[in-house]
Amino acid sequence: MLEPLAQSLVFGVLVGGIYGLAALGLSLVFGVTKFLNVSHGELLMFGGYASFWVFVLWGVDPFLTIPFAVIFLALIGLVLYKLLFARMVKLPEEVKIRNTLLIGFGLSLILQNIALRLWTADDRSITTFYSGAAITFLGVRFPVVRLISLGIALVCFLALHQFLHRTFTGKAIRATVEDWEAAAMMGIDTQRVSQLAFIIGASLAGIAGTLVAIGYSIDPSMGLEWTLVALITMVLGGLGSIMGTLVGGLLLGVTQAATSFFLGGTYREIVGLLIFLLVLVLRPQGLLGTKRE
Amino acid sequence: MDYRAVLRIVLIGALLLGLIALPSLVEKDSIINLVVLILLYVTLASSWNILGGYTGQTNLGHAAFFGLGSLVTRMLWTSGFPLFPSMLLGCAVAVALALIIGVPAFKLRGAYFAIGTLALGQVLFVTVGNEFPLISALPAKALASYELLPRYYFFVGMAVVTVAASYLLAHSRLGLGMMAVREQEDAAESLGVSALRHKLIALVISAFFAGLAGGGFAFYHVSYYPQFPFAPVWTFDAVMMTYIGGVGTIVGPVIGALFYVVIKEYLALNLVELHLIVFGTLFILVVLFLPGGLVEAWSKIRRQYLRRTTPKEVEPSTTD
Amino acid sequence: MLEITNISAYYGDLQALWDISLIVNEGELVALVGPNGAGKTTSLRVITGLLRSPTGSVRFVGTDLGRLTTHRIVELGISQVPEGGRVFAEMSVLENLELGAFVSDARKQRQETMAWVFKIFPRLEERITQRAGTLSGGERQMLAIARALMSKPRLLLLDEPSFGLAPILVEQMFEMITGINRQGVTVLLIEQNVRAALELAHRAYVLENGRIVGQGHGEELLSFESVKSAYLA
Repeated sequence: MLEPLAQSLVFGVLVGGIYGLAALGLSLVFGVTKFLNVSHGELLMFGGYASFWVFVLWGVDPFLTIPFAVIFLALIGLVLYKLLFARMVKLPEEVKIRNTLLIGFGLSLILQNIALRLWTADDRSITTFYSGAAITFLGVRFPVVRLISLGIALVCFLALHQFLHRTFTGKAIRATVEDWEAAAMMGIDTQRVSQLAFIIGASLAGIAGTLVAIGYSIDPSMGLEWTLVALITMVLGGLGSIMGTLVGGLLLGVTQAATSFFLGGTYREIVGLLIFLLVLVLRPQGLLGTKRE
Repeated sequence: MDYRAVLRIVLIGALLLGLIALPSLVEKDSIINLVVLILLYVTLASSWNILGGYTGQTNLGHAAFFGLGSLVTRMLWTSGFPLFPSMLLGCAVAVALALIIGVPAFKLRGAYFAIGTLALGQVLFVTVGNEFPLISALPAKALASYELLPRYYFFVGMAVVTVAASYLLAHSRLGLGMMAVREQEDAAESLGVSALRHKLIALVISAFFAGLAGGGFAFYHVSYYPQFPFAPVWTFDAVMMTYIGGVGTIVGPVIGALFYVVIKEYLALNLVELHLIVFGTLFILVVLFLPGGLVEAWSKIRRQYLRRTTPKEVEPSTTD
Repeated sequence: MLEITNISAYYGDLQALWDISLIVNEGELVALVGPNGAGKTTSLRVITGLLRSPTGSVRFVGTDLGRLTTHRIVELGISQVPEGGRVFAEMSVLENLELGAFVSDARKQRQETMAWVFKIFPRLEERITQRAGTLSGGERQMLAIARALMSKPRLLLLDEPSFGLAPILVEQMFEMITGINRQGVTVLLIEQNVRAALELAHRAYVLENGRIVGQGHGEELLSFESVKSAYLA
């Protein structure tokens, strides 16, 4: 009884890293710009497809497609920001939040349907010669691709943390998150900071998408599910906390795995949503976040 | 301005007459079905508009009400219960959900309310998908006696009632309170307008009419997928239509619904599946540049025309 | 150096400033006094571009600030210490100061500037790695001013620097401000503490209900209610 449970939990941890990564981009964007980009899941999906096609057309090793996904999403992020979101930065908070929510929502529909037209509704997955390989430890299987994916997710977390804490630009971003007017008074160009945050957020989504394509599968309609995952993780882990986002993702992954194990697979998605709703109503700053405003 | 009111009544009367007379004027069932779809969307969009447009709370889980009304109606009706009581019970269940989630939901403001309702809608969608069979068909007796016309007229009635309710609400003190909550919730509170009460009432009314639309949906379809009316696409369609038509207005959802179905039909003939991309784009354009939707566009055109013919008319001030 | 001509300000439909004009010359310490809600902070927000005036102009050393973004205005050499200081609580004293020197020219010289700033505020050097949120009120205020100085501004805008400080700290604060001014930084000071402000300043403007009702030197302004009441209090 213990082994299957342990296996289930291990899978939960392995996917949890990707959950955290998916949320990280969204959290960064929200923290800096207060945009709740509900098309984040679609950006993730596009990252997955970018990697998929690079893999299929040029035979690049799955994990080495990540830079392609990053560049692709960075460009998309830049275009979307300049076209749609840049004009929102100066608006009063309530209007800004509402409008960007609606725009994100419209965007998710557009992106989903573009993907549907371009690539059909079929599930896609990146499989390679080592896709089936696994390390077995204490009777539990650790699939190699998923281990590497977790590793990459952790690297991204670390990299972002270092960026935000050790570089001037990173500190400028943190300052803008805290108090954008005061940041502007320091001579920080808050418009460019917002743009940068958006691009980084999109890129992180792209990396997460690649990892999903490698370890699991992608299809045009996966966006909403992953946006919700990102939102749940963000709220669980606490707004404004990088490490919290990672913990939130792992927590969600493990909780889903446990629920799936004890109650059956159909309840996997529901339990995450219910926890999300509970936390949202009872403790909006998340389990680990700091109370702001 | 009296002639405008008279003109309005005449137009509405003509429209109603047209709707009533339609089945005797057209041969093809396909046109009737198209109008049924429009009327369904009119009802669904108008119901969303009451909470989303009048009261300014963006509910992204609206399909839950539609789904519940639909599911309850279908279940009761196919097991022998008479139709209208089934529908009323469907509405009642939708309203019950609204009452249950109302107070906790409205603890959330702005975007949090939106994503909270999004999650809630998803919970219901997945749960129903898990618990109910994939598809159900009408029992043989009902199948044999299936007639389009009664269903068509039900939809006409349903849409008329919903729009009329929208109209009455917009011109009532209750409606005014809702709009005050939309504009400046804190200011409204300080003037004695209970924001929570107004939001709850708006949610309940919204749920009721969405449930009604759901009942109609259950009545209309021969083959029925219990999970389908809970799908997020219904919420998204309602939201888009309302915004494109003119969020917060009475006719906005109506125009939006009409526009949507007509364009979708046209595009379906030429470019399959492109309609959502087109609408998504239109929706974004409306949010960015024309928040009042087609209604605003129309009134702008009218004002331009009036300015050219009556140069002495005072230009109304526009404050953002 | 700073020339404000006929500016007005609105919060939505609500007008907060009517036809404000004032001048700050290089090297001066000018005070803007007036009762609560008179529009003093609003005036500063117009100068730094956080609020735009539909009328008149704000010129800094000849350059019209009306179309510039806040960060560009800061780059030109204006630095603001907003009401309450608004230090970045989650970041350390050092990081706050570093961010103060964000503007590219200042960034290169930030080591030197920090040394200078620590001479004025030695207490901050002791707390250099502490999170700003854990500092006392007075220390936070000092940090806010120090941070503003990191960009080596030509004009320093101070919004109620003494607010909420214990009396002895207030005295120290004003000494520091005078010292900063003597080192060549032009200062526009907003203060509720009218008495102190008038003692420090070369000149002062009195703002009441969104309008400038008088200007001059200390004693000349005694005729104004708001000024008089400060002395009688």
